[in-house]
Amino acid sequence: MPARTRPVEKIAKASAQCSAEVAAYGKCVVTDYNSVHKDMCAKEFIRLKNCYLAASKKG
Amino acid sequence: MLSYTFRSSLSRRSIAPTISLRTYASQTPGNPMLEVFNRKTKHLQKDRAARNVEGSRKVDYLKDEVAMRLCERLLVSNAPKGRVALARARKADIKRNFPHVLDLGANSCNIAKALTTPNPDITTPEGAVSPPLADKISKLTCVETSRALLHRDEELPFNNEIEIQRDIIPDLETLPYEPNSFDAVLSSLSIHWINDLPALLEQVNTILKPDAPFIAAMFGGDTLYELRGSLQLADMERRGGVSPHVSPLADVKDVGSLLNRAGFKMLTVDVEDIVVEFPDTFALMQDLQAMGESNAIMNRDSAPLSRDVLLANEAIYRNLHMEDGAPGIPATFRLIYMIGWKEGKNQAQPLQRGSGDVNLKEILGGGEFDRP
Repeated sequence: MPARTRPVEKIAKASAQCSAEVAAYGKCVVTDYNSVHKDMCAKEFIRLKNCYLAASKKG
Repeated sequence: MLSYTFRSSLSRRSIAPTISLRTYASQTPGNPMLEVFNRKTKHLQKDRAARNVEGSRKVDYLKDEVAMRLCERLLVSNAPKGRVALARARKADIKRNFPHVLDLGANSCNIAKALTTPNPDITTPEGAVSPPLADKISKLTCVETSRALLHRDEELPFNNEIEIQRDIIPDLETLPYEPNSFDAVLSSLSIHWINDLPALLEQVNTILKPDAPFIAAMFGGDTLYELRGSLQLADMERRGGVSPHVSPLADVKDVGSLLNRAGFKMLTVDVEDIVVEFPDTFALMQDLQAMGESNAIMNRDSAPLSRDVLLANEAIYRNLHMEDGAPGIPATFRLIYMIGWKEGKNQAQPLQRGSGDVNLKEILGGGEFDRP
């Protein structure tokens, strides 16, 4: 019986397929990391999440 | 009129029976304890991690490495103390034996494993690989709170090379041993989970025999600073607030005074960074969990990190800390090594300040700095 895939492994696998979105979101937060506030990079995050959701459905 | 009221009030006050309602500020007996870490949570984490034997062995790389480095220090601290003595110890001119040693917070007896491994880096003057340190120790008592973790490696061959007694105690903060019973106390990667470190160090000092060393390694200050920082940013951006996901740790500069306060002499404290590369932050967090080293702070968020924060954290961590072209992300573990000796008769004393008559430059070499 193959070992159960843990949820965190699924997240890791799916997020690895979204490197462009990961980079864009990371860059957005880090450029102004002294004054981060809620939803500062909401647009970038939604893009990242959409890509992630699409990737996790495929995998 | 005025004088009358004054007098009457005065007399009334002096007659009235004085019922004392005054209370004194009092302290509850014993030391007030500051609880930083939830011991029950920590115990569960360790137990859970160790029950997955294979997974738990796979992430022993850090504990084994630190145990090895700690044992090297046992070798050096073993010799008569002092400047010349250090050089002598390096030549493996060691006489001291340790009949009974305590491993405080033994994890899976990683120190025993390290002690029985011959170290190819340390050679005798004849050039042969020095025998494993276990030869100098007659009996090792390993004490730990988690049964699953302590007994995990019971069947492995290293158990036959050194006499190990495994003790399980409910709480590492109260040690059930007699005063003056150990020739050395070792501790590797455990005491960073202790709530009351000063009290524990005092107990260690008590159970040591006079002129016996306490040698310990623990995670300190800047350990996992990358993860701490990027999780904070991810929390801020996604949830609008910060909650502690990485437990606080002692700082290097406090360790010296802690040892001093507990009555240790001839202190040595040094710091070493071990940087481990991981494919991504998920692997890092999984490994920490498998080591039983996940966050155990009091009042922590009992829900696991949300998927959104995990995703955000991955992106921020990569952006802040990954070097261009590197295959993975770095995670820094800062190890604080400490050595303290219990006071004993005829123990070497440190020399007075300013009494040195040898210029270190002549011994170590080195020249002037080039001034621009």
